[in-house]
Amino acid sequence: MTAYKEVSFLPADIIQNLKGHRITRSLRRSSRVYTDTTDFTSLDYGDIIQVEDRYFLITSYTKEGRFGVDDQIKKWVPKVEDLATGVPYILKLVFHETFDISFGPFTIPCYRSPEKEARILELVQGRPNFMQGKSLLDDNNNLVRVIVPVNGNRLDKVIHHSQTQHQEYFIKELPDILTRFLESLKAIGFLHENGLRHGDIRRDHIFVDRNTNQFYWIDFDYDFYLPEKPYALDMFELGNILIYLTGKGDYNPREILADPNMGEPVLQSILPTDYSLLSQNRIVNLRKLFPYIPEKLNNILLHFSAGAEIFYETVQELQTDLHDALCELK
Amino acid sequence: MMDWKKIIIAIDDSARSINAIEYVGSVTGHLKDVYLCLLHIYPEPPPDYYRSAGTTLDEYKKTQEEQARILFTCAEKILQGHGIATTAITSKCLMADHKSISAAILDMQMREHYGTIVVGKRGIPKAEEFLFGSISNALIHNGRDIAVWVIG
Repeated sequence: MTAYKEVSFLPADIIQNLKGHRITRSLRRSSRVYTDTTDFTSLDYGDIIQVEDRYFLITSYTKEGRFGVDDQIKKWVPKVEDLATGVPYILKLVFHETFDISFGPFTIPCYRSPEKEARILELVQGRPNFMQGKSLLDDNNNLVRVIVPVNGNRLDKVIHHSQTQHQEYFIKELPDILTRFLESLKAIGFLHENGLRHGDIRRDHIFVDRNTNQFYWIDFDYDFYLPEKPYALDMFELGNILIYLTGKGDYNPREILADPNMGEPVLQSILPTDYSLLSQNRIVNLRKLFPYIPEKLNNILLHFSAGAEIFYETVQELQTDLHDALCELK
Repeated sequence: MMDWKKIIIAIDDSARSINAIEYVGSVTGHLKDVYLCLLHIYPEPPPDYYRSAGTTLDEYKKTQEEQARILFTCAEKILQGHGIATTAITSKCLMADHKSISAAILDMQMREHYGTIVVGKRGIPKAEEFLFGSISNALIHNGRDIAVWVIG
């Protein structure tokens, strides 16, 4: 178990702020002060993380939940409040994890890399479309990333909440969404130009700012090992988001059959080449589902299909094509 | 166009590389002024290498170079069997430092003015090419003023 200090060792103003805090008032034990976050499982709600003379009170924990899996607490990602300023942050503590992800028959080794996330946070300081933060070192040289939370919602939830039917969504909402997504593409292109990958591009890793509607990339600590195509997975996932945004959802044979506007006739028209290059069962050739999707936009999606003859090698190529397609939509 | 008789044979430990070496030997064995470089480029260690293996980059490089020496010995024997003089063969083992393997091969080709690059062909499916890349395709696509021989 990691050693901790009593709160009496804290500066007087911090103790003062701690005493009056709603978290402390509801706590049945004294807060503990940790200067080493190696064993983050020892830390709990109401404890204080002291790094480089800053004092962060743990107010709750972030959770992860996707695809119907129950939300799981991420003990290495506490929500905190800076006891000197009262400003809320999210801390990301060092958690090294190695795992494989599968794409059809292929397996790609993936890693959680605090160092990579710290490099990205430094690189994107002050740039739009990226979550902001700063890395600090605890007493055991663990990289503690202090993240400014984005005030908004996950992109997939924003899209899902739109109650409009696809055609209306496509005409009225998608051009604006894609305009903002173009900025997200540019942001990932910037990372690649600087030799860095996002590493975990997903529709729920874009946050939509509540006030400005601007898209922000979050979570940069995943990395993967593809020495000959270091950006391939980022590219593929960008394509997946674009397909999702264009279709306002994912489409597989079961969903097509269940949709009274499509059903068997549409499913019969789907060829093996219309499916995703790597995600089995996912239909990429959306023009067969929604014939009003212009060919120019659909052709971009087909770059990610099993029938693709050429692939996008850089984000810039994808960005240029999407810009052209968007001009046609507007 | 650079001198095509200055040839890089990019090899790894696969049977495809042996085919490539045999092919170059049989084509150039009877020619004069041929200069061959056996080149083995290996990738940077995976991100968790230092944590899981607990070793240094120097140790990683040393291991890779030891494995390459075995490859080179075998390749030189094949080439000599085709009548190529020992003096016409060199070998190099390098890490693809912050670049892809194909980019490292092309860097070496440009730096040292080689006119031909020879590689073995894997014949991979499209999905695999998308994710893991094809060195031969990248060389064909990005090579300038050179011949690229892809040996099946």
